[in-house]
Amino acid sequence: MDTSVLIWFVLFIIATLLFFGTAVVITVVGVQDLKDLLSGSTKKK
Amino acid sequence: MNFHLIDWIILVAYLGLSIFVGIWAKKYVENMEGYFVAGRRVKVALGSATLIATEIGVVTFMYFAELGYVTGFSCFILGIIGFIGYMVIGKTGFIVSGLRKLRIITIPEYYQLRYGKNVRLLGGILLFLGGVLNMGVFLRMDGIFLTETMGFGPNVLAIVMSVMLLIVISYTVLGGMFSVVITDFIQFVVLAFGMLIATAFVLIHVNFATVGAVVLKQFGEAGVNPLVNPRFGWTFLIWMMIGSVAISALNQPAVSKSFASESPAVGRKVFLYTGITLAGRYMIPMFWGIAALAMFGPNMNPTTAMPRLLGTVVPSGFLGLMIAGMLAASMSTYSAYMLAWSSVATRDIIEPLSKKEFSEKTTMRLSKIISTLIGIFILIFGLFYELPATAFQYIAITGAMYAAGAFGCVAFGLYWKRANIVGAYCSLCFGAVAPIGFLVLEQLKGILPSSMLFLIDVNVAGFMSFVLAALGMILGSLATQRSHPPIVLKPKEEGA
Repeated sequence: MDTSVLIWFVLFIIATLLFFGTAVVITVVGVQDLKDLLSGSTKKK
Repeated sequence: MNFHLIDWIILVAYLGLSIFVGIWAKKYVENMEGYFVAGRRVKVALGSATLIATEIGVVTFMYFAELGYVTGFSCFILGIIGFIGYMVIGKTGFIVSGLRKLRIITIPEYYQLRYGKNVRLLGGILLFLGGVLNMGVFLRMDGIFLTETMGFGPNVLAIVMSVMLLIVISYTVLGGMFSVVITDFIQFVVLAFGMLIATAFVLIHVNFATVGAVVLKQFGEAGVNPLVNPRFGWTFLIWMMIGSVAISALNQPAVSKSFASESPAVGRKVFLYTGITLAGRYMIPMFWGIAALAMFGPNMNPTTAMPRLLGTVVPSGFLGLMIAGMLAASMSTYSAYMLAWSSVATRDIIEPLSKKEFSEKTTMRLSKIISTLIGIFILIFGLFYELPATAFQYIAITGAMYAAGAFGCVAFGLYWKRANIVGAYCSLCFGAVAPIGFLVLEQLKGILPSSMLFLIDVNVAGFMSFVLAALGMILGSLATQRSHPPIVLKPKEEGA
């Protein structure tokens, strides 16, 4: 495989892993953030 | 028809859930800050999810895939540039922290504080026009994606576009930023899952070796080197380097999420975590486009190649999940954009023009009417407007219409004490000249003399917009320091 193609593939794989890895972390921590936002907000009567 | 009963069940269930949650969140909106910035109580992970969901839509998948199809791996450079831009903002708090400390809701509010109310009005008009034109293409690209992947064909495009819009308007208008944040979070989870499904099935059908060979055969070095690719080159890359920071930090729909964060430090971190995902969310759809080239060859319509690929390789059941994810991406983008542009129109254009202060209730009511009108506009625009360049370049040039002047006014306003009102006017006007000139002259290209054709080079127009905006600010300010002394601002909140 051409070297420049290989470099782009490696960058693509790193970028993809960073995306999905961060997405998992944000999802898990974000649930608690969402609970905090709603519990700290006043409901309209 | 690619779409079967199980896909429909998944899709309808998901859309029903989105509408229910969006309208349910309405009960948390108690005042204007609640409506526009969710009471400024959003933490890092939630803020990051909602910012990512805002910035990913079907339209981004479509234009990145289109770029992948027509440029090969060269377009991956945009992911690297964007990643660096976000990291700069996330690490330094460049622009976003300075604005968040002032507790503003829209960017033109900053213009009034730093330069006066007439600059706010002009900046608001440019921001609104550029933003809504920028959004005009979204619905059309979404409609094409859905009709291609679901297998309906182009004749049902208008119906699909209208239904999507109605759903988003219903919850955005009712629930404001609370609805946007909560639905964005759900949409973020679903869209990430949808992207995972799509990527997995693409990789099952098209392997890396085939993709690499096809790109080299089709484009040669231009497929792997952005500097020799005729669509890119140095002008484009420098424009993107400046533009990625400017548009990231000053795109009202995105920066609204930073304003909604619970502190300036949280606002900065939201950009940092969002930036980590940036290269991936650019490169993944670009790769789908390149894979479409490998699978179907170079003779397809570049816009429809990627959705045709996904409609072909993703099996029934998974297709419903993936489409739900893609719709999730779009709805979160629409809701954030409609809320952001309606808030600019209400607070920065209509209220200053009416010369009286609106009550919170009137502001929110007007914003809801304008959100609906924006929805109607993008439906009509999307059905009838033909794009002058690739969708990515159209979006970048309409973005530059407001981002170049805004970057001149805000970056210089925050970090250069000599920036004054004359510089701000020059920056806003000069920054808009090149993109507007491009959009107008492009329609007249048949009668332009050859010596003027460089004016309709989208890359030159985009690059020049930032150069002219910066020059306008520097020269305008320096020439009028005595007659128009600069206003010095003090932040309302501290913290990085």
